[in-house]
Order: sequence, then structure tokens, then C-alpha cells
Amino acid sequence: MEEKYGGDVLAGPGGGGGLGPVDVPSARLTKYIVLLCFTKFLKAVGLFESYDLLKAVHIVQFIFILKLGTAFFMVLFQKPFSSGKTITKHQWIKIFKHAVAGCIISLLWFFGLTLCGPLRTLLLFEHSDIVVISLLSVLFTSSGGGPAKTRGAAFFIIAVICLLLFDNDDLMAKMAEHPEGHHDSALTHMLYTAIAFLGVADHKGGVLLLVLALCCKVGFHTASRKLSVDVGGAKRLQALSHLVSVLLLCPWVIVLSVTTESKVESWFSLIMPFATVIFFVMILDFYVDSICSVKMEVSKCARYGSFPIFISALLFGNFWTHPITDQLRAMNKAAHQESTEHVLSGGVVVSAIFFILSANILSSPSKRGQKGTLIGYSPEGTPLYNFMGDAFQHSSQSIPRFIKESLKQILEESDSRQIFYFLCLNLLFTFVELFYGVLTNSLGLISDGFHMLFDCSALVMGLFAALMSRWKATRIFSYGYGRIEILSGFINGLFLIVIAFFVFMESVARLIDPPELDTHMLTPVSVGGLIVNLIGICAFSHAHSHAHGASQGSCHSSDHSHSHHMHGHSDHGHGHSHGSAGGGMNANMRGVFLHVLADTLGSIGVIVSTVLIEQFGWFIADPLCSLFIAILIFLSVVPLIKDACQVLLLRLPPEYEKELHIALEKKIEGLISYRDPHFWRHSASIVAGTIHIQVTSDVLEQRIVQQVTGILKDAGVNNLTIQVEKEAYFQHMSGLSTGFHDVLAMTKQMESMKYCKDGTYIM
Amino acid sequence: MGTIHLFRKPQRSFFGKLLREFRLVAADRRSWKILLFGVINLICTGFLLMWCSSTNSIALTAYTYLTIFDLFRDGVSPFWLGWSQTPDLKWSTHLGLPKCWDNRRELPCLSNRFERLEVLAVFASTVLAQLGALFILKESAERFLEQPEIHTGRLLVGTFVALCFNLFTMLSIRNKPFAYVSEAASTSWLQEHVADLSRSLCGIIPGLSSIFLPRMNPFVLIDLAGAFALCITYMLIEINNYFAVDTASAIAIALMTFGTMYPMSVYSGKVLLQTTPPHVIGQLDKLIREVSTLDGVLEVRNEHFWTLGFGSLAGSVHVRIRRDANEQMVLAHVTNRLYTLVSTLTVQIFKDDWIRPALLSGPVAANVLNFSDHHVIPMPLLKGTDDLNPVTSTPAKPSSPPPEFSFNTPGKNVNPVILLNTQTRPYGFGLNHGHTPYSSMLNQGLGVPGIGATQGLRTGFTNIPSRYGTNNRIGQPRP
Repeated sequence: MEEKYGGDVLAGPGGGGGLGPVDVPSARLTKYIVLLCFTKFLKAVGLFESYDLLKAVHIVQFIFILKLGTAFFMVLFQKPFSSGKTITKHQWIKIFKHAVAGCIISLLWFFGLTLCGPLRTLLLFEHSDIVVISLLSVLFTSSGGGPAKTRGAAFFIIAVICLLLFDNDDLMAKMAEHPEGHHDSALTHMLYTAIAFLGVADHKGGVLLLVLALCCKVGFHTASRKLSVDVGGAKRLQALSHLVSVLLLCPWVIVLSVTTESKVESWFSLIMPFATVIFFVMILDFYVDSICSVKMEVSKCARYGSFPIFISALLFGNFWTHPITDQLRAMNKAAHQESTEHVLSGGVVVSAIFFILSANILSSPSKRGQKGTLIGYSPEGTPLYNFMGDAFQHSSQSIPRFIKESLKQILEESDSRQIFYFLCLNLLFTFVELFYGVLTNSLGLISDGFHMLFDCSALVMGLFAALMSRWKATRIFSYGYGRIEILSGFINGLFLIVIAFFVFMESVARLIDPPELDTHMLTPVSVGGLIVNLIGICAFSHAHSHAHGASQGSCHSSDHSHSHHMHGHSDHGHGHSHGSAGGGMNANMRGVFLHVLADTLGSIGVIVSTVLIEQFGWFIADPLCSLFIAILIFLSVVPLIKDACQVLLLRLPPEYEKELHIALEKKIEGLISYRDPHFWRHSASIVAGTIHIQVTSDVLEQRIVQQVTGILKDAGVNNLTIQVEKEAYFQHMSGLSTGFHDVLAMTKQMESMKYCKDGTYIM
Repeated sequence: MGTIHLFRKPQRSFFGKLLREFRLVAADRRSWKILLFGVINLICTGFLLMWCSSTNSIALTAYTYLTIFDLFRDGVSPFWLGWSQTPDLKWSTHLGLPKCWDNRRELPCLSNRFERLEVLAVFASTVLAQLGALFILKESAERFLEQPEIHTGRLLVGTFVALCFNLFTMLSIRNKPFAYVSEAASTSWLQEHVADLSRSLCGIIPGLSSIFLPRMNPFVLIDLAGAFALCITYMLIEINNYFAVDTASAIAIALMTFGTMYPMSVYSGKVLLQTTPPHVIGQLDKLIREVSTLDGVLEVRNEHFWTLGFGSLAGSVHVRIRRDANEQMVLAHVTNRLYTLVSTLTVQIFKDDWIRPALLSGPVAANVLNFSDHHVIPMPLLKGTDDLNPVTSTPAKPSSPPPEFSFNTPGKNVNPVILLNTQTRPYGFGLNHGHTPYSSMLNQGLGVPGIGATQGLRTGFTNIPSRYGTNNRIGQPRP
């Protein structure tokens, strides 16, 4: 997509080469591109071939022969010992490490090949380094490089998920039934056990293994770059490394061939296939890649390389066992009866398309420096951006230290401390529940665990709000962050309303069609939940015990029975006592408390209803009481939402209304009238106000400000701004030409001043 | 709630109020259309929910929640129309005090503060949509464990009904608050990706640039993308019975909902949190720098600026000035500077050591004495007289405005009061009691002497009667 755009611009006659980077004319590159495509095609053939070979030959033997052949040819071509500078002992050690890593990666690669077939291996493993590096940078760093890269990364992940989930590989399902069948060595057995431990099918394990191997390969290539410069070229390093790995693998292969009997009838017939594999997969690919990366850009190379290999992999995946490809197959075994193995499926095709797209997007050169950080404004008012890399600004903090500091912050104050402890308890319970659910394979337990996680999100939000509310005021949050607690309380209230809504919907559905319930596992779980939530209630009600005379008994009548969904319950008494008291101003803690209370009563309901169902078998009672509970939750949340709304709408705080009213009616010497009186609660601790007062010309402004401040402070306003206006002010303002409307408004103001003056000025 | 009852009619029943609200809403022609759509939306949602339970598809459920969100969204506008006409509700949404607090004042600039309610409505509905998406995520996590069978019978029908309805509603109802938020909030990731894709598409076919390059409406985008996901689900289930696709596309729709709603709720949440919008900070900085260079201004502090509704800025600021500066003059200039950006502004001027009058007496009195006209005080005090045009400062005052602005036609009340108190109280008294609570001062009449005392010490004491005299003189031509 995008390279076409770039190509159009460059090829345009009027462009004049002024746009875009200077590029080599594509005609000179054509032969390299063709060469690259052809090599990739041959590599696909080689891999399909090696899959057939691996059925007969043990994997370690296979890798040994491969390395041996490659080392032979490369030593022949490169002459690493006769040419170039001599290699020090230190470098030999590095080459040894390089060889070990190379052996492990090729072992993983070919083991993945045996597990999930050549097609999937090609799709997963044949990505160039640049693709994987940009994928990882999108995933793990903030500066990924725009939405296009993000899309590419998402495509890659979707493709892997497609292979994992939507690809029913029939043969592997068969093999998974008797995985012990063809384990030849301790190594493969170990890998198989590891995969079986993960609990996935074999070909899925292969997919995961290949992804791992791909990451290892990229890391390996990056790490070996410096070594290759030291040694004197990548080719020389490769030759030496292959040689060393041959020596490494030699004893193992000898031991293997002595201890196990080979399945191969005649090694002689395998010479030809081995030769093709060595030549196609290892040597040709390596040399052509190195040539192309010299002649072309790396990104272009990656793009042209990935497309043919995926396409040819798809083609071969379809036609490999077909008779027409027989002449391609060097190993002409009668493989026709196995034509179902690792066949093309819809999932594979889809994932191949996604892989092609993602390779295309991720390998396109990223436009660096597009996202600058705003550092300020120039004197002319134009914004100034900083296009430097983020690395200069972000001094990365070590993770343990970060955790330690945030823990310290959390534990500093009682609100956040309580929420944090309760959150830990809740999470512990959740994970115990989930773990036990997985162990006993009980779906009810697992989904109850998910429900607890869902609830924990409210707690997490409360914790964050409690933390943030202590932050220092900034330019943007000029009054401080205290208001966040109110917003979080509001969101928590909405959360409970949503829960009530869903409980309501489900209970209506169950009322129409009451299901049979299995009350088997319910009691212990709900007792556990009840204990956890009761602890929470104790902690939180201690925090603001003044406000709740919460009568928990009122809910006992609700025989609340259901499998797992209907948590959440609260009673009126609690909510209304809050609404009228208005003292518990910390909306955040109120929201969290309501949440915990809802959960507690939910588990009490479960216990009671389980007993009822087991004793009497009233299944209809379950939806009925869920309905009841939903309404109760809704009613209990309404006061919280109403209070939070009033604060958010900048309404005059009701508890100060009367005092303010009285305060504003007071007469002060020299004060004529006032306008625009605004008083609102900003956060739990700040009540802010602004007022404009009009005074006679002969009073001192500062004195009257002090008097008015005193009165309003007594009335409860602690963040006050008073604008003192005299007659002169209006004259200045009209003189300063503040627009027609304002003058009009002020004229009216003046008239009212006059009016007031007659009435109120004389004491 | 005590005072409110004073000004309200006696409480009627809940349904009575509801009926009255409804009648008020229905009185407006525009709201009829919206109400009609609301009813259709309810019917649609009902059908969709039925189909959801019959197909057992969670992806369709996620899509239906978008329709429910539409209901909220469209609900915002009739409520707004209705509430702006309801006198009783004005107190509750008014910024600060109830409207009926002081019925002597009817200021046109403060009559409606319903923008704030709009912000709250936008915030609440976007948060509700996100919570619904969270619920969908939880449900689909449970479904991954045990994938139920999906019946595709009504899936496609439901999708298209919902899509058509959503698009139709969106295009036919003009929704002011949401249109504003979707324009003003930062782009969602869905929009970014579509913009990126369409940019490269327009590179191939330049003719499409007028269609694709402008910012896409996020609601249209999410509706289309959700319908697309459902179509893929339908296809895959029909072809190969991949029931897991349903869960996957439900997750995709939920994530898209998050992506679309999150920037909007952040934007409206920041308005609710009384924050300074980042995009005006530059301009505000510039204005405040200008203000601090005004003559007499020492520092500007406690500056708070926030948005009341979508767009209108309010603010309060404290300005410390030199002791010999004229407060009203500085106030007027500060207000004038900031007024271009901040429509609801309160400026508090304060001085250090204001009680000590020694320095005060000199320049002010001299200035006042030099000019016979009453609006003269400003000129010499301002350093930058060039930026303050003298012509604008006193524009043709004698013709029409002065009579309007003349403060004290009677004049008879003023002098006796001041003079009376001046003689009775010594100077130091006012100083000592400057910080006592006001109530006691009021009762004892202590507030007055301070003024009298300072005036008494002024050298230019005599100018005060003469000023009023000039006022009277100018005021006389007034009918």
C-alpha cells in the first residue's frame, strides 16, 4: 500500500527527485529481486523436503548432517583459516558460544518443524529480523512508530492466534493421543513433556515453540553482529561456527547411533535429499541474503523476501503430496497415504494472509520523528516541539524500586491502605478460587473468580483515585487532584447501576424460564466470599463509621440463589443515611464501601438461597429475589450518584446553603450589592467561591475584602475570590471597550446599584 | 435543602412531575422527533435483545449495547431541551447559587448553565458504554472456557437492523454535545487507523481524498466496524462452525467501544474535574504575562481556570499590586485583558500592608486633585500609556454614558455619614480591628471608622465632596 504511494511520488515526472530519499533505480535491482524470490522459493522446497527427511532421520542426526554439509561447503568457499587475520583465543570462546546458541536454535526450529509441519513453520519462522524487531518495539515500547506499525503488530498477533485457535490440524490431534509413540531420544522426550505440561495440543505447542525460536533467532543475530565484525565478516563467522557445531554435535551423534538402531534403510538414498536441503536451506539462502542486503535496503529486502516464501509455502502446502510435484521431491517415498497431514485449513490461509500483511507493514521504513513532544510556545505563540528520541527524557526506573515507592505511597494514608489491603485479600481469594476451579475443572468456580476480578476493577479504580487525590496541584489541575475522588465515586456508582441492570435482565430471563440449579459447590465458595467481604466491611466501616447505621439484617429476607452471576446487593437504610447525613464526603470510599457491601449481601443471599433450594426446592425463588436485589442495589446507589452529580455540576453544597444565604444577606458598611455569586464544593476539603461585590467609591477595597472574606469563611467557604467593583471600574470597563453586550450588562448593573443604594446604603 | 423549599412550589407526586416534564419537553417541536426516535430505539433494542438471547451470540449482544448507548446519546438532547425550559430545575443546575436566590437580579450572561449538565450526561453515557464493554469482556472470558453453540438464524438480520437504525438515527438527529465532544476530544485508535489507511488509499486514488481524508465520525466508524465484525462471524460460523469467532468478535467490539469512548470520557471528565484545558494554556500564559507587566501589578497568583461547559471558560485569579496603585484601574485592565478568553472571570486585587496609609496618600490625592473630571484617576498611574489608548479610556463620556454611570445622584446621604464617623473614632482603632470577625464589627459599627480615618488623614480630603459635586453637575442634564 504505502510503498506504492512512495513509488508514485518518486516516479512522477514532476517530482524532480526532490521528494523522499534518493533511491536506486528499480531496474538495477530487478535481478536481485528475482534472485531473492527464486531463492526463497527454493528454500520453501528445501524445508518441505527436510520435513520428509525428518520422518526418517533422527533430529540430532539431521542437524549434524546439515551442519556438516554446510561447514564443508563454507570452509571450501570462504577458506577461513588461510585468509584473514588470525583468531585469538578469546574470539574462539565467543565463536564456541555462537555455535552452541546456533545449535539450540536450529534444534528448536526443526523440532517445531516435526511438530507442526513445513507450511506452518515457514509462516512462523521465516520473518526477517527487522519485522520482529519492529514488532517487539511496538509491543514493549511506547514509541512504536504510528498507527501503521500498531496495525502490523496486531495483524501478526491475530495471525499467530489464528494458527493457535482456528487451525484444526487433524494429524496432530491423532498424534497427541499417543505422544509416546515415536520418541527417539531423551531430548525430544523432554521437549514433548514440556509441551504436554503446558496443556496444549502438539501442533499448538509447535507454534509456541516456533515463536520462541523466532525471537531467539532475532536476538542471536543481533548479538552476533559485533562478533562477526571482530572475526572478519559474517561469512567467515558462519563457516567457523558451523564447523565448531559439527564438532560439538559429533559425540552426541556417535552415542545416538550406537545406542539406538536407525530407521533408515540405506543412507545412500538419502544423499541426494540431504544435498538439496543443505544447498537450498542453508547455503544458497545465506549467500543470496547477504548479497541482497548489501545491494538493497534491509526493509525492501525483507519485504520482497517474505512475500514469495509465504506464497510458495501455501502452494506447496496444497500440492506437496500431489503427484505433480513428485519430480520436485527428491525423497520419493510412498507418502500418498499420508496426504491428510498438516493440510491447508481455513485458519492457515487466513493467518498466511495476515502474516503477509504484517510483514509488509512492519518492514516498511518507519517515519521517525513524527511525534514530537510539546515543550512550550514561542513568543509568537506558535507551539514548539521536541523531536528528539524519547530515550533522553525517560530515565527508566528500575521495577523493584518503582514498586517499593508506590507501595510506600499507598501505605501512607489510611484510605488507600485499607483499599489496598482489601484488594490484596480479594485478589488472593480470587486466585485461590481460580486455581481450585482449574484443578477440579469446575466451571462455576472459575466464572465466579472472573466475577471477582470484575469487582476488583472497581477497587483498583478506588485505589488509584485515593492515590491520585494526594498529588500536588499542577497547572492543569489548579485546585489539586481532590476532585478525582468524587469522579471515581460517580463512576463506581455507575458501575453498581450497570451491575444492577445486568442482574435485573438475567433475573427477568430466568423468571420466564427458571433453570435447574446445581447448588453443589455454591456454599463453600459463598462462605469464603462472605468472610472476605465481612473483613472488608469491618475495615471500611471503621473508616467512616459515623455515616452508616447500615442495617444488614434487612437483606436476610432475600433468599438469593443463583449459580454465580448475581452478586451485588445493598440495602436502603445505608444509602439514605448517607444522603441525609452528607458528612461522609469522601465519595470514593463511599463507592468502594457500597461495592463491598453489595458483594457481602450477595454472598449472604447465596447461602440463604442454597439452603432454601436444598430444603424446599423453590427454584422460582432465585430469579424473584435477584429482581428484588437488583432494585435494591439501584435504590442504594441513587443517593451516591445524586451527591456526586451535585458536586460535579458545581452546585452549591446543600449543607452550606443556609449559612451562605444568611451570610449573603448581611449588611456591610459601604457594600451596595453583589453579583455572580458562585459557591461550589471542589473536593472533600475545598469549598470554593467567587463573588463580585459593588461598593461605594469611598470605601477601602482591602478592608471590605477582608470583611467579606471573614463572613464567607465563617459560612464555610475556604477558597475565595472576591472582586471589588466601584463605580470607577464600570467606567473604566466601558472605556476600555469591552464589547457592546458587556457594556449593556454593566449598565444594568449600575442601575441596580443605584436602586440598591437608595434602599440599603444607609445603615 | 432547606432554602430550596422556600422557593419551590409544594412537592407534587413523582408522576405528576414526570408528566409536567414530559409536557414541557413535548411542547417543543424539535423534541418530538427525538422522542419518536427514542420510542423506535426502545422497540429496536427490545427486538435485538430477544434475538440476542435466541441466537446466544455475545457479539450481537455487544453490538446491541451500542444501540442502547445510542438511546442515551439521543436522550441527552431532549433532556437538555426540556430542562432548559423548566424553571424549577434551574436551581439545581445553576452554577453556584440557585437562580431564585436573589430575584432582584436578572443577568442575561448567567441565565443558562446547562452546558455543565450536558458534560455530565456525555460523561455518564460514555462511561456506561465502557462499563458495558467491560461486562462483555468478562462474559467472553467465561465463554472461552465453555463455548456455547451459536444459532446464526437471526444474527445477520439483527446486525443489519441495528446498523441501519444506528446510522439513520445518527444522521437524522443533530446532537450538539456529542458532536462537539467527538470533534474536540483526541482521536480514538480506531479513527487513527482508519485515517492512516485512508491516507495510503488516497495515495493510490487521489479522487477519494474528499471522502476519506476528513476526520471520520467515531460513532459511524464503530457502527460500521461492529457490523463488519458480525458479518465475519456469521460467515465463519456458517462455513465452518467456528463458534469461538463469536467470542473473539465480541471482544473486538468491546475493545473498539473502549477505544471510541475513552477519549470522549477523558475529555468530558477533565471538564468535570475543573481542569484547565491544555490547548488554552499557551494563550492563558501569554495573557497572564501581559497582565503581570501592567503598571502596579506585582504578581499574579492562585490562578484557576476551568471550563464550565463545552467551550466556555471560567476563572478566578488573585493579583497583588503595589500599595500606591489604583485598584479599580488595575482591576479594569486585568479584566479587560483576560476577558477575551475567560468569559466568567473574578479578579481579587490585594495589597500588602494596606492599612498603613502613609504612602497611599501622596500620588492618589495629587492625581485626583489635578483633574476636575471624575474619570481621570487612571492615566498617570499606567506606565504603558501607549497600549492603553487615552481616547478609548475616556470615549465621549460627556455625551451619553456619564449620566448613566453617575453613582450618587442624591449626594445627601454620603457626606453626613462619613463625616460623622470620622470625627468619632481615632485612627488606630481601625487598624487594631482590621482582623476581627466581621459580625462584631458590623454590630458595633466599627467597619466605618477605618474608612473615615484614612480619609481623614489624606491630604486631599477635600476632594471628595468636590468629586461628588462634579458628578452632580454632569448628572444634571439627565432627564
